[in-house]
Amino acid sequence: MKKQVIILAATALCAIGLSTSANAQNAPVGNATNAIGELVIVRTDGVQQRLQGKGNVPLYEGDVVKTDSSSQAMIEFVDGVTVALNENTSFKLLSRWEKDMPVVRILRLKQGEVWAKTNGGPKRFEVETPVATAAVKETEFNLKVQDDGQSILTVIEGVVSFGTPFGTCPIRTDTISYGVRGKKCTKPAATDAKAAKSWMEALRTPVK
Amino acid sequence: MRPSSYHRLHSLLIASLAMTFAGCADSLQPAKIGSYALKQDTVQSIPPRIYVANESTNDVSVIDATSFQPIGTIPSLNHSTHDLAVSRDGRRLYASNLASGRVSVIDTVKRETIASIYTGERCHVVALSNDDSQLWVANIGENTISIIDTKTFRILGTIPVGKGPTGLTFSHDGRFAFVSGQGDKTVGVVDTASHQIVKSIPVGANPHFMVVSRDGHVWGVNTGQNDIYVLDPETHEKVGSFVVGDKPQQIAFAYKGTAGPLAYVTVGSLNKVIGLAGDPKELKIVDEIAVGEGPNGIWSNQEGTRLFVAHDKGNEIRVIDTGTGQTIATVPVGRKPIRVVVSR
Repeated sequence: MKKQVIILAATALCAIGLSTSANAQNAPVGNATNAIGELVIVRTDGVQQRLQGKGNVPLYEGDVVKTDSSSQAMIEFVDGVTVALNENTSFKLLSRWEKDMPVVRILRLKQGEVWAKTNGGPKRFEVETPVATAAVKETEFNLKVQDDGQSILTVIEGVVSFGTPFGTCPIRTDTISYGVRGKKCTKPAATDAKAAKSWMEALRTPVK
Repeated sequence: MRPSSYHRLHSLLIASLAMTFAGCADSLQPAKIGSYALKQDTVQSIPPRIYVANESTNDVSVIDATSFQPIGTIPSLNHSTHDLAVSRDGRRLYASNLASGRVSVIDTVKRETIASIYTGERCHVVALSNDDSQLWVANIGENTISIIDTKTFRILGTIPVGKGPTGLTFSHDGRFAFVSGQGDKTVGVVDTASHQIVKSIPVGANPHFMVVSRDGHVWGVNTGQNDIYVLDPETHEKVGSFVVGDKPQQIAFAYKGTAGPLAYVTVGSLNKVIGLAGDPKELKIVDEIAVGEGPNGIWSNQEGTRLFVAHDKGNEIRVIDTGTGQTIATVPVGRKPIRVVVSR
């Protein structure tokens, strides 16, 4: 009996140990914390949940989050990345697992515009668009996808690795680059990067 | 508590804690990009191996391609392992997993899955670009092709294609990718320089698997109308077709003595492999080999003297000598083996 208890206890401890390094699907990957208008969250089973105003709605791997033409929203990821959604924006929450590495948090941006900022050290974070991927460690950037898939990256601070199937280029602070289907991303050009995120200032204003 | 039990618990506790802290340590590591690039001084050739995707056991069977002895099984860490692509150096294997919508990246030397990449709903087939730098993945549920950078494992782009992409292959010169669409009954020709579909070729009902022959022709199967078709690599026209029987599955090219290369087609309902020869415009059956239950995946060795046939009902691989048509080895694998590939 004692032996069985010992084995059970040890097995349970091992399981706890394993679960901390595994990417558990039932653990939230972040929370939707603010919505001007309404944020719609579509779970993998099709069930919808909505956020209006301030809140704390947990988000899970596979969720699709979207705003309509009169809504914006803010999301905080558990690994220290903050993302804002502009109007008419939709993305899916994904991840990539690699052995012996932290999980890469991925947003698959189908349409619209996002602002993202990493907090508290280097992260493994990527935003995929139909034609390009922006990969970051420590940075703040804005990425907009147009109807034809063209993707406009503005780096507010830090370096973003902006890649298409035709090549990858580092885009640095206060520069802009375009990702177009069938081409390498354009050479970075100087821009007023702070203006690119002006749309999301209202999300930061406390609700009265 | 007896000392032995105490020591066992102590060891397990230490092991468990080590695993826990290993997980924590992961989060402190800086991100590595391109961390799987191989150091030239460590590169050694590895013997050819047969890899089999087992859809119902979610794993890949590994078999020695010379002795035909089983070597092991690699869990895909995903669900419904379906298609496979092996790199030219034999060190990376990519497996699509239909139910997960993910591709498993497998280190063939260590025989373990080292990455899992979400591509899209019902990801079905995988094909490596001619230089192995990109993996293209057809997602049936989203009517797209995802393009994965094989060094960073990032998805660098997505190409909208026709309905229900289920077959995918590249032309010999790499200028075009061919994508069969079950919903459209066509093969889309994708210009790999612009990522635009430049032509859509009607081929028949339920076009599925596709492969390029040694002379560059594109061969495909229509599971909906029981025939195979051949596309000209220059004109992108359908130049031939041939009815082979119910449930044609996959095609490989091999020799029968001095004849060939023949196109060997697995025909699921007949439990046969049928060998076709001749001008693509005038194909004829020149060989028929009886095999086991539910032949599906098929591959040939480099020399074109052996066929490796996966049986999705018999749960086995049969190695066939094309010269005699005889089965020279039968190797049990996982449940519902769909695809077989062999490293060089």
